[in-house]
Amino acid sequence: MPGSASTTSHRSESLITRLHSASSSQNNETKLKVLRELKNQIIGNRTKKISYIKQGAVPFVVSVLSNCDCVNDCLVVVQCAAIVGSFACGVDVGVTAVLEAGAFAHLIALLSRDNVKVVDAGARALRMIYQSKVAPKYDFFEEKNIQFLISLLDRNNENVTGLGASIITHSCQTHDEQKILADAGVLKKLINLLGGTTNQRDASLESFATIIKENPEVISKFVGPENGRTWCTLIELTKDRYPRTRLLACKCINLIKNAAPSYLQYVGMRTKLILVLLELLDDPGQVGDEALFTLSSFIEDDEGLQKLAFETNTIDKLLNRTQKELLQAKRLQGVFITLANICSNLECCRSILIQSPKALNFVTDALTHTNVDVRVAACICLKNISRSVKYLSAGRFMTESVIMPLIQLLFDTSTSVQVAALCTISNIVVDFTMHKSLFVQNGGVKQLVQLSKSMDSVIRLNAVWALRNLVFLVDSRCKEVIFMELRALTLTSLVSDPSASVQEQALALICNLVNGPVDSIEYVFSEDGLLMNAVGRQLWSASKPEVLIQGMYVLCNVASGKEFHKEAVMHQLLPQPNNDGTQSIMVTMLQSDTAQLRTAAVWTIVNLTIPTGAGALARVVKLRNAGIVSQLKNMVNDPCLDVKLRVKTALGQSMTFGDFST
Amino acid sequence: MPVRIVESPAPSNSSSSSSGANPGQTCLQPCSLLSVGQAFSGTQNVSSPHKEEAWRVNVRIQGCDLSHGYLCGTMEALNVPMADTPVVTFWEGEIVDTKNYTFFTNKWKATSEVDIEHWSKFPSFSPLLTQVEVDGGKSLDLSNYQYIFMRWKEQYFVNVGADCGLTIAGFYYVCFSCVDGSINGYYYDPNSSPFQKLELKTTNEGRTGFSFSSYELQ
Repeated sequence: MPGSASTTSHRSESLITRLHSASSSQNNETKLKVLRELKNQIIGNRTKKISYIKQGAVPFVVSVLSNCDCVNDCLVVVQCAAIVGSFACGVDVGVTAVLEAGAFAHLIALLSRDNVKVVDAGARALRMIYQSKVAPKYDFFEEKNIQFLISLLDRNNENVTGLGASIITHSCQTHDEQKILADAGVLKKLINLLGGTTNQRDASLESFATIIKENPEVISKFVGPENGRTWCTLIELTKDRYPRTRLLACKCINLIKNAAPSYLQYVGMRTKLILVLLELLDDPGQVGDEALFTLSSFIEDDEGLQKLAFETNTIDKLLNRTQKELLQAKRLQGVFITLANICSNLECCRSILIQSPKALNFVTDALTHTNVDVRVAACICLKNISRSVKYLSAGRFMTESVIMPLIQLLFDTSTSVQVAALCTISNIVVDFTMHKSLFVQNGGVKQLVQLSKSMDSVIRLNAVWALRNLVFLVDSRCKEVIFMELRALTLTSLVSDPSASVQEQALALICNLVNGPVDSIEYVFSEDGLLMNAVGRQLWSASKPEVLIQGMYVLCNVASGKEFHKEAVMHQLLPQPNNDGTQSIMVTMLQSDTAQLRTAAVWTIVNLTIPTGAGALARVVKLRNAGIVSQLKNMVNDPCLDVKLRVKTALGQSMTFGDFST
Repeated sequence: MPVRIVESPAPSNSSSSSSGANPGQTCLQPCSLLSVGQAFSGTQNVSSPHKEEAWRVNVRIQGCDLSHGYLCGTMEALNVPMADTPVVTFWEGEIVDTKNYTFFTNKWKATSEVDIEHWSKFPSFSPLLTQVEVDGGKSLDLSNYQYIFMRWKEQYFVNVGADCGLTIAGFYYVCFSCVDGSINGYYYDPNSSPFQKLELKTTNEGRTGFSFSSYELQ
């Protein structure tokens, strides 16, 4: 309402004027009156905080603080510190204003006063500052700073120890910093504080988590089960009456488990932790949200824990909740990420979601959610569900309700959404039911091709990956459409992409392209053999086995065609006449340490030496002259059974034309 | 100078522990002829005492996870008398790697006697028989054996309804040759004709050689 706003504005201007006068006044009553009025206006009111910050209130308050005598003016000091803390609470511009006005040093000075109220007020204000990202980083490498920090943790004052914990939570980021703190005995002090008030306990647990996070060295030295007391305290706190404390204890145990899985082998304890976290989901606020993400992290990358989560009905509990209430974005994101992790390895978990139309709709509906994080999480969830070959084979994902929103996400303005959608599409297009045309007809290929030309290598990689899977066992008509969209030129540039991973996927794509009906081989000979030459060049120049394996399988597939195709492969494998001294790349491949590469190479030779071909004898002679046959003879006892068996076939075929070795 | 090819040895007996667990047992080595995309064709003999009959069968491998002893794919029966179209089923396979699965089925109405009776029909099983009788083959190391034993269990009909008059209640005992990709199998269902033989060979779809394709799930 305009009238009201205007009144407010006048009132604040008058307050600022009075604050200005008070800052130079000697009358404590006047000061207190103005300060109390200001404090009452800004506490819990973000808009007013920002308004007063803009009007320059902070420097006046800090000026009053700096001119006070802590013995005689303690009431004024307490009010000033409370106001400074309030300006800093939850408002980054407030923290900046407080720091720029020079409040930090004055607040630190308050900590050494005798008056408890003054100390409390200073510590509280500093905690507010340290809860902001813009607060200055505390330098743990300075010995005196560590001593000061320890002195804070040693104080018999909840606000001061809380400040110490907040400093750690805010500033400790690197492994070196974690180590310094742990070596200085900070972890032990934090553990001691766990026996204090709820606030002390929670603040200590949070900074404890900060010090051990992703640091196996610190964990093994100070935390594991052999440090009985710490471990038992944490386990005990998972049963605390306060939800936030239970959550923080679970978070610490999760961090310990993630860095040192062997510390949490006991199945009973693992199950209990899952149950505690599931129960915490009942909290509608931040604790519930964080519990979900902790649960998700707890089961990530551990099939055993995913099984336990399955056995404790986590999927049902999550799904029931989504049906009962409309969830906020953060909670939805957590639900999808947790479902994704449960389904990452276990088919039984995927089955539950796939067999429930409601559950699958819940995931696909979220693909169009307004929140970016939810869209990404829904994609990841669908990606992990679609790892089920059983349901891919049944064509359960290649439906309009799944495919259409996913294709739309390829146009998303967020790169992370695009990447997540590409990964999901990569799985879904494997579909074995010959319904790949649905994806092609709805513009999916066009956009994948477009994204395969992206400047972003992650997008490029995943777009090519999706195309590779789409071309796997695709029918000839779709294959033609895909190739027309891609063109030999695009594929050629992808084969020699700066990223080796893109090269690998592009070559695997070509391998699938030339598989199937023998006519498909012609794709690599279009436009004067542009693709065939690109594959050959890559085989001569690449060094990564993953790239070479796919390149070699392209040649293997081409060599399974007609005589002309086999000759073209020979042309790529053998050195050109003007490079007589050069060793054939085939010998290099056969000598590789990577069994899969040796397998691909020997299969190519098997295809080239099949005795029924008119040119087989001439090819065997050329292979022998290039030292390839003698290399094969060295491989008859190859440690890889697959290689050994193919070598036997290849040598057998070569010998049908006579043994040239004599 | 030609080198003598060392014939593949019989599977070694790595029985040092008699417990159920097999620490140190390795998975089978991958065989390129038993990889995703590979196709096989042949017949299944469904003769009864009254009538000689064989269905043409095509098989395609769709998924393979050696670490979990898992294989899956589709099986297409072409000239099934009571069906208008070829009948496609999806099957899942248990690979007998002695880590994830042994020669003993322990389900699908198959006793260990039934298991041994069926496995014994494969000549390549004979070197293993003695140990399998002892512990189901748990202590055998098959990682260098040229044959891969599996059980294939059809899970659902892909292109016809479950009411098509056909049954997928049974399962196949399968022996795959890594040498040439040939597959032999015996269908077991206590309610169907015994020992229906499945014989498949790798197909090359009109090519003069072997061709490979692949996908990779994310």
